[in-house]
Amino acid sequence: MTLSVNTTYRHNNALIKIEGSLDSSTAYQLEEQVKDVVNNSPEALILDVEKLDFMSSAGLRIIIFAKQKLGAAVSLTLVKPQDQLVDTLKMTGLIHSVHIVDSYP
Amino acid sequence: MQKSFSLPAQPESLHLIREEIDQVAEKIHLERKKGYRLKLALDEIATNIINYGYAASEKQGEKPPEIHITIQINEQYLSVTLTDQAMAFNPLAKELPGEAELSKPPEQRKIGGLGIMLARNSVDDFKYEFRDGKNINTLSIELHDNRGR
Repeated sequence: MTLSVNTTYRHNNALIKIEGSLDSSTAYQLEEQVKDVVNNSPEALILDVEKLDFMSSAGLRIIIFAKQKLGAAVSLTLVKPQDQLVDTLKMTGLIHSVHIVDSYP
Repeated sequence: MQKSFSLPAQPESLHLIREEIDQVAEKIHLERKKGYRLKLALDEIATNIINYGYAASEKQGEKPPEIHITIQINEQYLSVTLTDQAMAFNPLAKELPGEAELSKPPEQRKIGGLGIMLARNSVDDFKYEFRDGKNINTLSIELHDNRGR
């Protein structure tokens, strides 16, 4: 199981589609793209995680990093996270810092 | 049922541990959420062994260090034991981030410290011992629901 990460921009929103398994061996792929996104100062960051099947704390660290770099005013949205990912976000309190939606137009 | 194997202590082994758990989980028809919780906890502990344990101890000889993995099923639990010879580290002795830290917005948080917390909170039973120069972490998931989750 590997990780696939793909960034696109719509207007000033950055959309990153993440598929597969995110652990400490694959996290660098997302980290690199998040760093690029942060440098482009988007108005919002949207993570499409519908097909993200596994995410360890390596992924949480990237979410925290993104929020820290983008600032509180830039929203971070997760599209269709799987139940287990929602559980992880709840356990770590990060659920309060992200928006969760069922679809992104 | 019991199964034992060793993997090199490197990040590329993490997905192999998950695949082994998936195979066992399928055989015993383990609830998907339970399997995930076990995989998450194992991933965090194994990552810790790989990134900190072996990097900090300079024990590496000619052979790359290994993590020994034992999967066991009894009436009550699916248990996985990770044994390594990296420097002693007791995940149960580590202070976890408290409510105050967890309720902070990310902008004010320290990055890190969440992995061990996830590991400890994701499984139903977590044992650690240091014996004969080895860290022995045993993580267990209850097969049947005796408590609400």
